[in-house]
Amino acid sequence: MDILTGNELISGATVYLSKTGEWVEDLQQARVFLKEEAEARDAAVAATKKTMRINSLEIETVQLRDGTIYPDRIRERIRADGPTAPRFDRQHLGQDDHVSI
Amino acid sequence: MYRYDDFDAAFVKERTAQFRDQVERRVRGEINEDQFRPLRLMNGLYLQLHAYMFRIAIPYGTLDSRQLRKLAYIARTYDRGYGHFTTRTNIQFNWPRLKDVPDIVEHLNEVEMHSIQTSGNCIRNISTDQFAGAAADEIIDPRPVAEILRQWSSLHPEFSYLPRKFKIAMTAAPHDRAAIKFHDIGLKAVRNEAGDIGWEVWVGGGLGRTPMIAKLIRPYVEHENLLAYLEAVLRVYNRYGRRDNKFKARIKILVHETGIDKIREDVEEEFAQMKGGQLTLPQAELDRITAYFAPPPFELVNVTNIDIAREKQADPAYGEWLERNLHTHRQPGYVSVTISLKPIGGAPGDATAEQMDTVAELAEKYSFDELRVTHEQNLVLPHVKISDLRTVYDALLEAELADGNAGLITDTITCPGLDFCSLANARSIPIAQEITRRFADTARQRQIGDLKIKISGCINACGHHHVGHIGILGVEKKGTELYQISVGGDGTENAAIGDILGHGLVADEVPVAIEKLVDTYIAKRTSPDEPFIAAYRRLGEAPFKEALYGNG
Repeated sequence: MDILTGNELISGATVYLSKTGEWVEDLQQARVFLKEEAEARDAAVAATKKTMRINSLEIETVQLRDGTIYPDRIRERIRADGPTAPRFDRQHLGQDDHVSI
Repeated sequence: MYRYDDFDAAFVKERTAQFRDQVERRVRGEINEDQFRPLRLMNGLYLQLHAYMFRIAIPYGTLDSRQLRKLAYIARTYDRGYGHFTTRTNIQFNWPRLKDVPDIVEHLNEVEMHSIQTSGNCIRNISTDQFAGAAADEIIDPRPVAEILRQWSSLHPEFSYLPRKFKIAMTAAPHDRAAIKFHDIGLKAVRNEAGDIGWEVWVGGGLGRTPMIAKLIRPYVEHENLLAYLEAVLRVYNRYGRRDNKFKARIKILVHETGIDKIREDVEEEFAQMKGGQLTLPQAELDRITAYFAPPPFELVNVTNIDIAREKQADPAYGEWLERNLHTHRQPGYVSVTISLKPIGGAPGDATAEQMDTVAELAEKYSFDELRVTHEQNLVLPHVKISDLRTVYDALLEAELADGNAGLITDTITCPGLDFCSLANARSIPIAQEITRRFADTARQRQIGDLKIKISGCINACGHHHVGHIGILGVEKKGTELYQISVGGDGTENAAIGDILGHGLVADEVPVAIEKLVDTYIAKRTSPDEPFIAAYRRLGEAPFKEALYGNG
């Protein structure tokens, strides 16, 4: 299973493509693409690239654990929550930083 | 310290206007990220895991109070109230927003700072001995020549797209505090047989995935010929350095694969053509730049000694700070003070805006308005009168900057690691924090004595783990962070690359492993005067390996 993630242009904040086509901060709102949805996933990547507003766009593999999205890579788990040491809140989108496809 | 002239000021102003325009075009969607990335990187703006990271150059690690106050202002206004000092003696902010960065650069320009060449395949910030211009053991102040090299290398048209990044370090003392043998070029001021001072040139050192100790390419280059000689080295590298493989593109690989003798021949051939030409450094220009670094107006003072034993009895914490954090000054009655950015459980190299303001004020009042950043991620007040030490200490104590642990086990170099860095494979800062908590007891730290732990979160080795007396390298294996321990590295004139002791350990096991290595050292040292690194050289890796992995 995959999700799409990247960093929003202005804030640099970590964002995820949601089920409704918006790029949002919350990992748990991310659209999970099943193996058979590769075409839809790739179309979403292409549409996102057209916005020119999401950088470091990546396809990340995840698992669903009791309905919760759990990224396979440690790196992605840290991106989702913010730095562990020193513990800082993650970067947030500004008012004008919302992107959708 | 050096002050911008009209040319410098116009140059950075023009460059800032260019960058503002580039950011605005990116925001408007007129250029895409592939076009923008090299432009932002040339101005020190990276995109990391959680946000942008903005790296600001601190030339040869020298700052004055107005510059540090400006950094504090930037931290407070545009970031999250702190900054991170790096091993290149730069500062990084972890949370700026893209639209704010041109404003930040304008603020920097107001205090004669910028972020140019803090990224990219160019000549990066030149680092020096943190006690340059103050140390009793140096033969000259290397900073005037460092400033000349900075001017020569800034936007050098031939060297803006080298095969890979290029780092130069300098020292003018026999004891190398700048790790010159682990740089692309290392320069050491030396005297020739006639007693004149010039530069010993080392080339091809580096860390990263292929650590190499630099090789001596020329034992003596006169000041006047230094630019021509370095240009010759860079030309040879630019011509023959491998551009086909990023991992083999540093000059250390070229020197290793080609052989130092052949490289030396090529450089000499190039140098012969340039020597005496337009790159000759006129004495008048060297004198002009040197004047900016003239010694401050030291007073002739009565108090020239500190009775540390007595101070320790009266106030152990103060006495211990005196014992560890002072460095001998060339001027009687003065010392250089290391301000540790390594509190127990803290993030190595981080300083809050308030702490920066405090240090700026101390520099202004008690150190002739001078400050230094060390490659070991600490700060230095280079010229403090012995009679002012108690006042300085009390102010540092109030700012939570009075840890007396310089050079001890808790004074680690630590890269940002996977908590921030997009290249990292494992976290570094939590490992440093746990080690410092485990060894928080100051008596225990002093029992251990000089011991440098250096921690990197990936093979790029920004935490200099190869040259740690104990080095820790984070890797990722099957979704788990593992840490390889090495022992015996040394970044000084006795340059050595550490030996990996065995398989990687999980994070929880690392502080325990360090404890075992330390216990082995203490049990086997000939006396408390034999430092860890000396004991390791005498004993070899076997007892340390056995301590961690048993003898099977």
